[in-house]
Amino acid sequence: MAWNILLQRLFGNRGSKEQAKDRLQIVLVYDRLGLSADQMEALRRDIMETISRHIAIDSERVKIDFQHKHSPAEVVINAPVRRARPAAEAPKQPAG
Amino acid sequence: MSGRAIVITSGKGGVGKTTATANIGIGLAKHDRKIVMVDGDIGLRNLDIIMGLENRIIYHLVDVVCGRCQVRQALVKDKRFPSLFLLPASQVDQKEAISPEQMRDLATQLKEEFDFVLIDCPAGIEQGFRNAVAGADEAIVITTPDVSPVRDADRVIGLLQNTLGDPQLIINRMATDMVKRGDMLDQRDVLDILSVRLLGIVPEDEEVVIAGNRGSPVILSENSESGRAYERIVRRILGEEVPIPELNGHRGFMRRLGKLFLRR
Repeated sequence: MAWNILLQRLFGNRGSKEQAKDRLQIVLVYDRLGLSADQMEALRRDIMETISRHIAIDSERVKIDFQHKHSPAEVVINAPVRRARPAAEAPKQPAG
Repeated sequence: MSGRAIVITSGKGGVGKTTATANIGIGLAKHDRKIVMVDGDIGLRNLDIIMGLENRIIYHLVDVVCGRCQVRQALVKDKRFPSLFLLPASQVDQKEAISPEQMRDLATQLKEEFDFVLIDCPAGIEQGFRNAVAGADEAIVITTPDVSPVRDADRVIGLLQNTLGDPQLIINRMATDMVKRGDMLDQRDVLDILSVRLLGIVPEDEEVVIAGNRGSPVILSENSESGRAYERIVRRILGEEVPIPELNGHRGFMRRLGKLFLRR
């Protein structure tokens, strides 16, 4: 508790402007690309299909994000691997 | 001679385009330049009332473009500066009453006579925006440090880059105390997001409302913070190197440390 207060005093509270900045950076990546929600979903589906042809992945949990830590922004695809075998042979259990 | 035509735009309404146009116009006139301010907001005439010139209008922009009068007849002379003129918008016509080509021709004509043609752009990115931008050689984008104006400014900057190249940015209504406590985007944040050149920062200032009430823009009052900010902006437009005062919330680690121990 006291430790938390100490840390807050040292580094300051995370003001609402940090939220403003994060939210703006995300929304602007989409604005600049001019991608609609439908197009994003189509991209997600295509990527999922392509990867699934080679690796068994948890298709429900495939996520596409944009990161702006560096310029230009990067597309980050997160696809949890079930097992490094063709999808057809993959057992229905998550990888350890 | 050929002057510079500058459009003042923002995307979002209500962030201070007209106020900025009025102050920059007066500021440039104070520096003995010959200025015409064109109110590009057809249907929602505003620059005249901010300038305190609303009772002097006879003809307007649409009259000029449609050949109902000469440019000279429509220009309203400022009551304070003899080298400052206003070309008012029409209050009754639609944005479609003029075309981008007509606006371009008008600006070319005005540039022959004036050092600066300042075009006050309407909000939005439709026909009114296209008209206002068509006449310009360069652009100033104005935003406040809030999420929606910054988002809209980004859109407008993208559109301008395809035509006029990189615009310059004015951040308006910056509240120092909010920046200091981390509750408002500071200049560094806004520039990180928009990646354009900063022309100036105008602090939040009650005087702007009073100035509007009186029809006498803040740059005319001696002790107004925002008036001084506009004065610096004007000097930068004229090519002078005027440093931008740093106003941000990044307080140093050591200062925080010192404060922590002093408090106990």
